[in-house]
Parts: sequence; C-alpha cells; structure tokens
Amino acid sequence: MATEYMTRMGDGRRVFMTREDILADIEAGVAEGADSAEVPALSEEEIEHLLEIVCAKERIVTVEPGNEIVMSQDGGAISIDSEHTSGVPSGRILATLMYERGFCMDSIDFGHTDYSFKPVKPLISVECQQMRWVQEAVTVPVLYGAMPNMGLYYTPDGPYENPGDLMKAFKIQEARESIEKSADHLTRDIIWIVQKMMKSGGADGINFDTTGAAGDGDFFAALRAVEFLRKEFPEMYIEMGMAGESMLGIHGELEYKGKAVAGLWPHKQVELAAEAGANVFGPAVNTNTTRSFAWNLARAVTIVKEASKVSPIPVHVNMGNGVGGVPMFELPTLDALSRANKAMVELAHVDGI
Amino acid sequence: MATKEEIIARAKAAVLDFDDEAAEEVAQEALDAGINVIEIIENGFSAALGNVGERFESGELFLPHLIAASDAMGAGMKVLAPAVEGKIKGEKIAKVVLGTIEGDIHSIGKDIVAAMLKIAGFEVIDLGRDVPIDKYLSAAKENSADVVGSSALMTTTMVNQIKLEEALNEAGIRGQVKTMVGGAPVTQTWADEIGADIYAENARDAVSQLKGIFAK
Repeated sequence: MATEYMTRMGDGRRVFMTREDILADIEAGVAEGADSAEVPALSEEEIEHLLEIVCAKERIVTVEPGNEIVMSQDGGAISIDSEHTSGVPSGRILATLMYERGFCMDSIDFGHTDYSFKPVKPLISVECQQMRWVQEAVTVPVLYGAMPNMGLYYTPDGPYENPGDLMKAFKIQEARESIEKSADHLTRDIIWIVQKMMKSGGADGINFDTTGAAGDGDFFAALRAVEFLRKEFPEMYIEMGMAGESMLGIHGELEYKGKAVAGLWPHKQVELAAEAGANVFGPAVNTNTTRSFAWNLARAVTIVKEASKVSPIPVHVNMGNGVGGVPMFELPTLDALSRANKAMVELAHVDGI
Repeated sequence: MATKEEIIARAKAAVLDFDDEAAEEVAQEALDAGINVIEIIENGFSAALGNVGERFESGELFLPHLIAASDAMGAGMKVLAPAVEGKIKGEKIAKVVLGTIEGDIHSIGKDIVAAMLKIAGFEVIDLGRDVPIDKYLSAAKENSADVVGSSALMTTTMVNQIKLEEALNEAGIRGQVKTMVGGAPVTQTWADEIGADIYAENARDAVSQLKGIFAK
C-alpha cells in the first residue's frame, strides 16, 4: 500500500493523499493558475520542490537561516481580540505591542475595529490620538490601516444608488455613473483621512487592505488616492494589499493612466499600484475550498511568482484565511500555513508576507 | 439591398456593440427583406450573445457588458416578435407555462426560450419575470399546461425553483406536468436534486427536449 501523507482540503479538512495524487493536484493547480492569469507555468524542478514541501514529514516547515523575509502585519491590530480569531481581550494598543514584541512583525497596521475608511471620518480625532499613543510605545513602522470598501457608498449604506440594483433593471449607464460618483467620494475620503493621520496622528504610512473588494471602481478610487498622497507625502510608506486575484469588473470600462482596471491579475495590478506610488504590493490569490491544499498552493505560487518577477516594488503576499493557498479557516492550521509560506518564499520569491 | 449574410453579420455586430438602436434597425431590415426570423435569431442575435457569454466566462468581459448585450438583443427581439407570432400556425404540440422565477427580473433567456418554442409549434403562456409561485400554479391549472418552465439567473433565486416543485406537489398537479428548469447557474445536477423533469441548457436544448417528449 502506498504511503499516504496528511494534508488538507481548501476548507481546512484533514485528508490523506498519496505522493502521486499530491503531484497530480500540484500539476493541475499550476496549469489552472497559468491558464487563468496567463502567466508561465512552474518548471518541473519547481513542481518537484513544491511536492517536497507539501510532503514534508514535519508538522511545521520553514526556510533556511539567511532566507528569512520581512513580515508586515495587516488587519488593524484587531486580530488578537476579535472573537473570530484569538479572542484574547487585549485592546488595540496592547495587541500592537504583542505583534511587535511577541510575533516579531517588521511593520504593523493599526486601524479602527470597523476597518473601513468611511466610518473613520467622524472618529478621526480619536484615531489620531490612538495612533500617537501607539507611536510612542512601538519601535517598528506603524501604518494606519483600513479598507477602501466602496460598497459603503451605495444604498442602503451610502448616498449613491446601488449599481447592482440598477444593472438588474438594465440601467447600465446609470450604474456606471453611480460607481464613478462613489469612486470620487471614496478618493476624497481616503485623502482627507490620511492627511489627518499623517499630520496629526504621526503615522508612518498607510495600508490599503482588501483593495478592490467592491470591484474595479474600488481599485480605481484607491489608485487615485495613492497618487495624490504620494505627491503630498513623498516619504510616506504606502502598502496596497488586494482583495482578490482578478479585479472584478463591476463598471467594466474604468481606466487608470490609460489602462483598463477590470480583469487585471496580480502581475498587472502591481504595475498600476507601483505607477500610482505604492511602496509595497500585497497580491491575494483566492483559495478554492473544494480543491486540495496542494492544488491551491500550486496555483497561488504560480500566479504570485509572476507578480514578484515583474514588480518594481517589494511584494508582500497575503497569506492567511482563504488566500495564498492557505485553507479557508479563521485560524489556519500551522501545517498548511507554514508550507504555504515556505513555498511563497522559495518558489514565488516574495519579498515579504 | 443588403444580402442575408450581411444582415445577419450586422445583427451580430449590434449585440457585440451593445447597440439597442442598431439591433432594432437590423431586425426591421431583416423583416423587410423577408429573411427567416429563425435565422436572424439563431445565427445573428443568439450567436453574438453566445460569444459575449464566452468572453464573460473567460474574464474578458464583465457583468455590465453581458447585461448590455442582452438588452440589445431584447430590443431586436421586440421588433421580430410579431413575425415570430405569425409563423405559428396549426395545432400546437403542447402547452408550456413559462416564466422567470420569483425574485429574479432577468428575462432575456426566458424570452428566447419562449420565442423558440413558439416557432417550434408549442403554445407558450409567458408569465413574464419575477413570477410568484402561485401565479405558476394558477396558470398551469387554468391552461391545463403540459409543461411548467422556470428560469433563474442567480444562485439566490434558483432556490425558488424548489418551492415551485413543492407547490406543484401540494396542489396535486405535479404528476400532470413536466417541469423544466434553466438559467446560468442551473445545472443537470440541480435539476436532479430538486426533482425537475428537464434541464434545458439553452433555448435550442429546450425545444429539442420538449419535442422529444411531446412531438408525435
């Protein structure tokens, strides 16, 4: 009987697979990633290396000394006390210290519990005050973190009619106009909040988390904000993390600097992020819960590798619950997470996680 | 005067360009030139919509494009509708009650199925879109329907196709009708799961399957 290796499905379920079955899934994942994103497939040697990582006997794997990479934390420092994750009642400032001194993060993002730009507007004085306290306590760079989350600008949460409702009624032009107005509003809000945070809060920079979650308008609004902020604050640190692998075309025809925003994959998204003025790009590749960990990781590595290769700025890949080949689970299992991290460093050649 | 091939090419282009007015114009020109409406629908409008659908699947086009293309085709279909009706003569093969399921306002797919079924010789009672379950029941009873067909474009509305199956059972008429389901998220597996008799992948498939059951 062939040896079976304990591995995972994309939903975190434990499964046992033979080396041959794992290899077949890796090859299928590589092919799917290369086909979907239109990027080169991994070589035979790289596939063999990935197979060794997935089939490693150890529960946790890591990189060799000297190959360590930068770790930038996102999630608004709320991951510690959120009941969905650790559930440790710590508060934001204490959590930030834990990230620096306990988990050895190289940069930290500090944000409001809602974690979207829009709700920060009426709380900006409190947020600036909190940021000043954090800056006095923490040594590593602290970025203010929030999601563009343009969905909050549509009815019933915002002033502009929901493009989903308009499109259902075949009102395409009206839907697009609503997206454009929302994007203008979002860009203004981001700029206003970041100006306050930089000037009054003393933040080291800004982390755009889950950019593009509301589609191409969301990404478009964030890119314009980055461009403006880069001009006003030439030295600030701007990290742009993405929501998903392919930019959803809710508008479908928005262009940034003459390039269509919809349908872009990470290796194309990073070009726009860098052109706008971001310092760091965080690609996100989604996990398919019905496929194996091996399939998902092979696909994610294939897609992220090309983004790392073409990027003119450091690439810090999103690794965690449901992205980067990691199973979709609130607290991802260490066996899968450590293998995914090692593969991203050694095969996708990312600069950070 | 433009040739049939030129008119069909322009019908395709109208949908691919998302141009409602061009679709109406070419549909009228096809009627004036005496071109078979089935050829215009199948080789012109439907072929173009199929192309848009494929490009949507591959990520080249997006939802607004898909809806705009459907809208253009719908404009052309409105012009062709009287001619489609005129082609229907003689005894009907079977009675089909058809509608887009409750909660769903996408009607173009259902409209194409209705048009193709009429052309093929079926009597179609088109209930429109966002059709409440009760309306399906009363229409099926009043018309002594042979088929009850429901279309759904969204995963959130396709679940109402289960309610339709249950309601037909509760009303005691499930055994008297064949149920047919279709729409973008609907599959043969889904049809099997909810107990529908027929899964139609597209309009042509719907006609083919119903003819297989009812045509003598």
